[in-house]
Amino acid sequence: MSTSLAPQTFDLEAAHRGPSSIPFSRLVAVEWIKATDTRAARWLLALVALSTAAVTLVPVVSPTGFEQTHAGYLRVAAFGLTILLPVVTLLLFTGEWSQRSVMTTFTQEPRRIRVVNAKLAVSLLLGTGGAVFGGMLATAGLVVASASGRALEADLSVGVVVSYLVFVLLNVLAAVALGAVLQHSGAAIAASFALPASVALLGKASTLVSEWIDMSTPWNWVLENDWGGHLPQITVSVLFWVVAPLAAGIIRTTRRDVG
Amino acid sequence: MITTTALTKSYQDIPVVRDVSLRCEPGTITGFLGANGAGKSTTLKMTVGLVRPDRGTATVDGRPFVELPNPTRVVGLLLDASAMHPGRSGRSTLTIAAHMAGVHPSRVEHLLDLVGLTHAAEQRVGTYSLGMRQRLGIAQALIGDPAALILDEPANGLDPEGIAWMRTLLRHFADRGGTVLLSSHLLHEVQATADHLAVISGGEIVAAGRLEDLLVSSTIVVRSPDLVALAAALDAARIDYVAGSGDALTVDVAGGRVTTELLASVARDHQVLLTELRQSEANGLEQLFFSLTGVDVSSRQQAAA
Repeated sequence: MSTSLAPQTFDLEAAHRGPSSIPFSRLVAVEWIKATDTRAARWLLALVALSTAAVTLVPVVSPTGFEQTHAGYLRVAAFGLTILLPVVTLLLFTGEWSQRSVMTTFTQEPRRIRVVNAKLAVSLLLGTGGAVFGGMLATAGLVVASASGRALEADLSVGVVVSYLVFVLLNVLAAVALGAVLQHSGAAIAASFALPASVALLGKASTLVSEWIDMSTPWNWVLENDWGGHLPQITVSVLFWVVAPLAAGIIRTTRRDVG
Repeated sequence: MITTTALTKSYQDIPVVRDVSLRCEPGTITGFLGANGAGKSTTLKMTVGLVRPDRGTATVDGRPFVELPNPTRVVGLLLDASAMHPGRSGRSTLTIAAHMAGVHPSRVEHLLDLVGLTHAAEQRVGTYSLGMRQRLGIAQALIGDPAALILDEPANGLDPEGIAWMRTLLRHFADRGGTVLLSSHLLHEVQATADHLAVISGGEIVAAGRLEDLLVSSTIVVRSPDLVALAAALDAARIDYVAGSGDALTVDVAGGRVTTELLASVARDHQVLLTELRQSEANGLEQLFFSLTGVDVSSRQQAAA
């Protein structure tokens, strides 16, 4: 322990010219580190991997209950991913409020919108990484299934793969949007499970809700690469689940007093 | 240089900070003194853009904090040492801060050594004592080699040795031309560390200036067996006074115009016998601070004696 700092005096002129703004790539790198460097984060990511792997196994062990096609296996992987991966990304937006480390983050970069954008970028990276991992699991499942002598329909196309990726990212973004609005881990996780379930229940009473808002219908069209004639419904549900809450979350994040 | 101009903030119509203006010059340590809840933290948070003021402005290095391109290179902050991720090690916490500031990673080791945490660098912050977190917070504040520091209650949780260490560190920092603004609810802590002072009470600045000016006794005790004659003499000389203890009056020095010599000559001119004439022992700052925080000076002095 010592009390000596550097011997030189401050170069106030240099401080004035100042270092330039923090590059966005650096903000993304720091958010990536924060999302992955703690024990809790690694456990959660391991759970995502494990749960996705478990779900992807289902069509392999239960050939009669599931479409034995390449696209079918990919869709099962997508459902596996969307159980927990969105929670991981949601926590990027709520965790710092709960730990109160927003105080540090928003004084390191006081243009809060840049921090939000960096967290969005990391969420999309994690979502894409998850989708690639899910694709690998689906492929492994297909290899096992065909090795067991099953006939599998090879129906993959670029459209199917892109739709799969869009579906995963939409689920990630919907959770992220809730996190950005609620800024509380427990409340946002609860809402990310309860809200879609409640809307699905409403959808049973009204086809207007089920076709235009409820995730399970319009977003399934996305996953099934069935965009034809459904674009308006898909757009409305994305506005409802992603765009509106994300916009509200950005406004709240940039304006909220950090106590 | 850190300035605030008429910062004002209310929460649910309850004023928390009113018209707080501060000016901290390079080379000085300004103590921001006030009881808990007096508005210190809110003022500091408004200064660094964490809380929006209803009115007023603040600048660091001539610019509003939120316009600094890379603030940790300009001003180091320690606002709440417990607001760190408990699952990250001390070293990881500093590494992230160094990365964000864009400084060389070797600075992390240098600062761990500086604050005496090298042995605990791999431990998770959740296992740290408050004093260790405070040290880590100081290291984090210094990571970008800033020319200014804003520290909220930095002495909290530090042992006496740690407090002495921090005082020396801040003194060296200011002596090199750095600007320091630190808050405390302890008068003796501020007296030992700062050279300038701003006292806040009920959200308002009630005293500010150089510490030595504020510490100068602001009252004189005058005692006489004939209080009526003494009061008449002071009235005639247009000197303000209030009743003191027993047969004494307390006279305000009125910014140095009134001295013991002047009072002695007034008494002589009016033929009033004085049995005591001296500068008040309790200095003005102490009287002011304890009257604000509700601690009686005389009982404190008795307790100390």
